Amino acid sequence: MRGILAVPCRLAPDVQVRKESWGLLFYLQTRHKVCFVRSGDWLYPAHFDGTWTLENITDDIARRTGAPVEIIEYSLPKLAKHLTSSRMILDEVR
Amino acid sequence: MKYADWPLSAPVNITWEITHECNLRCVHCLSASSKASPDELTFEECKGIVDQLAAIKVFEINFGGGEPLLKDYFLPLLRYIHTKGIVTCISTNGTALTHEAVALFTANPLVNVQVSLDGATPEVNDDIRGKGTYRKIISGIELLSGKNIPLSINTVVTSLNFTQLHQLKDLAKSYGANLRVSRFRPSGRARQSWETLKLNSLQLQELASWLSSDASILTGDSFFSISQDGRRKMGLDMCGACKMTCCIDPSGNVFPCAFLQDKPFCGGNLRETATPARGEPVEPHSREACPVPRYGGGNLGGGFKDIWDNAPSFQRLRNLEPTACRACPRFEKCRGGCPAVAYFVTRDLNTADPECLMQWSREVSTV
Repeated sequence: MRGILAVPCRLAPDVQVRKESWGLLFYLQTRHKVCFVRSGDWLYPAHFDGTWTLENITDDIARRTGAPVEIIEYSLPKLAKHLTSSRMILDEVR
Repeated sequence: MKYADWPLSAPVNITWEITHECNLRCVHCLSASSKASPDELTFEECKGIVDQLAAIKVFEINFGGGEPLLKDYFLPLLRYIHTKGIVTCISTNGTALTHEAVALFTANPLVNVQVSLDGATPEVNDDIRGKGTYRKIISGIELLSGKNIPLSINTVVTSLNFTQLHQLKDLAKSYGANLRVSRFRPSGRARQSWETLKLNSLQLQELASWLSSDASILTGDSFFSISQDGRRKMGLDMCGACKMTCCIDPSGNVFPCAFLQDKPFCGGNLRETATPARGEPVEPHSREACPVPRYGGGNLGGGFKDIWDNAPSFQRLRNLEPTACRACPRFEKCRGGCPAVAYFVTRDLNTADPECLMQWSREVSTV
């Protein structure tokens, strides 16, 4: 599991994101589309600046929220996969 | 709960009518544009507002008016907005394009352009937008075409151009553009032309079917209330006013949307006072000015966030559940449709959108 979590993630170049009370709001500017991610206080826009891996983010969430690591490790890769497939984030650093 | 019910800290996009000045006198103009209002925002005031919008991470500003390209500071304002990374969409009548404007738009990832054209032939378009405008608009489209500018031709669907929608799609395609269709709503000058230009039930049905069958036609959220379920999955499927979007008028008044610019809906004003410059002749715009602002601390542009979060008229719109619609089986899908159409037709927000799918379906079935 940790291997998967070692993948760095970064916002796609034509995407912006902002924090909302219920999670993150992604905006794909080329298609004028928004993507609502109900992540609560787990995720912040800074997590997608290209310097964070899923592993770092997992540790950060666990530290800030007290959520069990195994739950985060179960949920976060799924979410990252969804965001990658919808072109909101890239799962590799160029 | 639908996703658009989730409270947003700021709009996703904003419609900004930067001026009431327009060189055309379209019979359906939503803002009844003609001459500039005497109290339109200055460049510095606009920059202050942009700073506010950037601070709360508004993603997109859609410029209209009036003709935005007639505003003397419009291009510098665009450049300023782009330094903030905000996407812009310029809705223009296509007759005031300059080489400087085209150069700014070209290959600019933060620019999208919509040119308004209301008929595939001069006869139809010019009936709506004015004599001789078809040729001028096409010339404008030719200036923009082929220059790596995301371009769409925007048509307000009326009884006059309804039969030309296929031609308009082909015409747009010939310029490398998409066709975007907008709903005809009875605000601004359209209040006078509503009865003659609105679609009948059969036309609404045909339009809904066409939109469902052709995903390439752009609509924004214009037709969510008449769209069948296949189309509804493609985008925003309910009124986004005060939830996803709002509108700033040329004087800094903030409204739920461009079609609800009426006193009762004004959320507040982004400047402390809105008075014309001394000594200048004051020719009132056809729309009454808003009352003294109720929001903001008097700081230029400082009140936007407060208006968005707290304006009573905005909160009322967010919670709107028209009485007439509560028993409707589609209520959870459309939430009563477009409140602007309901309001301007009946002056009552508790009535259903008179052009909603259920309404025209009933009428068609009785025919």
